[in-house]
Amino acid sequence: MTAVAEAPADAGATRAPTERERLERTWADPPGLWGWLTTVDHKRIAARYVVTAFVFFALGGIDALVMRTQLAVPEGRVVDPDRYAQLFTVHGTNMMFLFAVPVMLAVGLYMVPLMVGARNVAFPRLNALGYWAYLAGGTLLWASLLLNTGPDQGWFSYVPLALSEYSPGKRVDVWAQMITFTEISGLISAVEIVVTVLKCRAPGMTLARMPIFVWAMFVTAMMVLPSLAVIATASQMLAMDRLVDTHFFDVDRGGDAILWQHLFWWFGHPEVYIVFLPGTGFVSAVLPAFTRRQVFGYPAVVMATIATGFLGFGVWVHHMFVSGVLHQAGSFFTAASVLITIPTAVQIFCWIATIWTGRPRFGVPFLFVLGFFATFIVGGLTGVMLASIPLDQQVHDSYFVVAHLHYVLLGGGVFPLFAAVYYWFPKWTGRMLGERLGKAHFWLWFVGVQLTFFPMHLLGLAGMPRRVYTYLDGLGWNGLNATATVGAWVLALSVAAFAFNVVHALRRGARADADPWGADTLEWATPSPPPPYNFERPPVVQGRAALWSRTPDAPVVVGLSTERREILVTTAYDAEPDHRHRDPDPSIWPFVTALSVSVFFVALMFTPWAVVSGSALLLPPLLAWGWPKRERAT
Amino acid sequence: MGVAQAGAGDVSAPARPAEPLTIDVSVLPDAAFGHRGLTWWATVAFMAIEASTLLACLGALVYLRTNTTQWPPAPYAPPDVAPFAANVVLLLGKLWPFGRAEAAAKRLDEAGVRRWMLIGTLWGLVCVVLRGFELAALDVRWDDDAYGSAVWAVSVAHTSLLVTDLLESAAITAIFFLTHPQPRHFSDVEDSALYERFLSISWAVLAAALVLAPRLP
Repeated sequence: MTAVAEAPADAGATRAPTERERLERTWADPPGLWGWLTTVDHKRIAARYVVTAFVFFALGGIDALVMRTQLAVPEGRVVDPDRYAQLFTVHGTNMMFLFAVPVMLAVGLYMVPLMVGARNVAFPRLNALGYWAYLAGGTLLWASLLLNTGPDQGWFSYVPLALSEYSPGKRVDVWAQMITFTEISGLISAVEIVVTVLKCRAPGMTLARMPIFVWAMFVTAMMVLPSLAVIATASQMLAMDRLVDTHFFDVDRGGDAILWQHLFWWFGHPEVYIVFLPGTGFVSAVLPAFTRRQVFGYPAVVMATIATGFLGFGVWVHHMFVSGVLHQAGSFFTAASVLITIPTAVQIFCWIATIWTGRPRFGVPFLFVLGFFATFIVGGLTGVMLASIPLDQQVHDSYFVVAHLHYVLLGGGVFPLFAAVYYWFPKWTGRMLGERLGKAHFWLWFVGVQLTFFPMHLLGLAGMPRRVYTYLDGLGWNGLNATATVGAWVLALSVAAFAFNVVHALRRGARADADPWGADTLEWATPSPPPPYNFERPPVVQGRAALWSRTPDAPVVVGLSTERREILVTTAYDAEPDHRHRDPDPSIWPFVTALSVSVFFVALMFTPWAVVSGSALLLPPLLAWGWPKRERAT
Repeated sequence: MGVAQAGAGDVSAPARPAEPLTIDVSVLPDAAFGHRGLTWWATVAFMAIEASTLLACLGALVYLRTNTTQWPPAPYAPPDVAPFAANVVLLLGKLWPFGRAEAAAKRLDEAGVRRWMLIGTLWGLVCVVLRGFELAALDVRWDDDAYGSAVWAVSVAHTSLLVTDLLESAAITAIFFLTHPQPRHFSDVEDSALYERFLSISWAVLAAALVLAPRLP
């Protein structure tokens, strides 16, 4: 038994460093650019992910604005058809692969270690590699658009359009390799979250006491593993069909175009839940602080989250109802698509009960949660409609589907994301976002979403197909298109208000203390922003609402080294302390490895021999990364 | 909690009313084997990812097969059984040296780990060489038609794992020969043995799909 003795604060210049000072020294990054490149602090890496993802969000938004401006009037001439095809492809690809999935996982990478009381993620260097790979993939996509080589075959890259015969050049190859980059990043993030959740929880945080947000991220990460692995494999098959004349999807040589659809949607539909489940986690995180009670029906919400994770893999064929699926298969996938609404409804009823029986406080995060209810439920209901084969066949590839998917993804993903940003911004930065600007942001966003996307339901029912660069006058589509375009500009104004709020808060925002909302989870037990080591003394959890159930004599963990980076590993189920784990120091090798990977993947767009040269390029940094360094004497 | 707890009344943490109860973890070990360790879970997660990749390739093969009445389609014959059978046996046999290395690692027996990891790595090298014969025995090129593409996809996907695993085994072996290994390196050996099981068993399944399934009536 070792008791930790803290030195008195006035010990004088010659005193021994305090525990906190030793921790600061041990966990600090090197200064300057070197520290920026070598950091393995999960918070710095996750913050980069979030900022980069929002930059991609803004770029994708500009894409959308150009498209909506083009469609504001019949026979618009803002961009030509070729550029329009690149714009809608890059918009969808960007929003799904570079914004929605990464930003959700990034918030998880920032918050999960804090919410489970850990000092870092399980594999910090791998985490750094994930970010650099993501940045490389995003840069590749956007650079290609600027160079007029942007993918133009639609975000799900259907064959045969995406094969060399119909898409010569490198546009589709850019898409395929961007997928590989981002899937590496996503898979790494998922492994980080799974292992951190299972093995790095604070003592006392049994699975039954885990915050619902952590459950949501855990289930999301578990979904990422089989889904992103398959799309990465499928995108390589597509790339090989184009590069080395394989024939997976070439019907003339025994291949099958529908095979691509199965592989893509095996990933593509779970991806919706990979975006939505973190959103549900955000809602469950925000509600207790803004209703002053724990989420109603914790077991039901957790079980619904897990059920959604499983059922999410059983509905992919509802994207393919017009591809000639067998009647019985169609009925099965209709039933599965309707079935998956049940766990979602369970969650929504639990949240409504939480608000109903709580004492709601109408702060900005709470407003975004209310906006989530209103918007997502519309998307969910049109989803049930689309699960019906006869209706789906009528509106397939029309603006009705565009409306539906935006209601689902903006309602289920982006509304909760904004709620989460307003909620956790004080923790991330030590500053509060402005309330008045936040409300302006919310209302502009809410109105903008309805104005932009609700008319698209009607456009779809009126027969307007998606992905057309213009339309003729006299079809009855003019007014609805003009309204949607006005809505898009309102959304742009909303995002500008948000960006201004962030910049203003960073410079002049009110200081945030450790727990400005009086919330219940562990991240609020450490200063805002948290120190590099997260917790001076890792906490011990006594109940489901970790802070609200904490007694004045709540125990803390002592005995982790302050001279080297060390984290506590606990048992997977009960979170009993098991052993101490040496956490790696900052390293340049993840960055160098990502550079090598980037050269490898880009070269692979041009020659299969890149497999040989790329592997040779990758070996030295990987060896340097893994080779043990002599330990400092402690 | 399984570790020492102390509080205000404890002899070793006396007398300061503000001092919280403590759980002292300094007495805990700084590495652990099996599912207690972090890398074991990462290995399992990466096995899940790689299994998904292999299943996607196998799924493509099975899906494409439904498009023809004859498999393999004319004019191809099913691949020769011999090299595949030999490598499946060899890969399953490789579990023996890795099992011995795992047992040595659990005893923290550095010399034993060195010996058995070296044998396992050389054994792995033989498997990689034999894989070349398996690829030749496919008797179809990847660009001949979809059948060729699918069987090559299954084979190359597993081969990439096999080669990566060989390099990783070589690196762990080198660490044990050239440095003073840390406790975590012993648990790395155990995780490596776990991964070998995945690699061997998965090839037994895939090889059966490539070689035996086309021979079924």
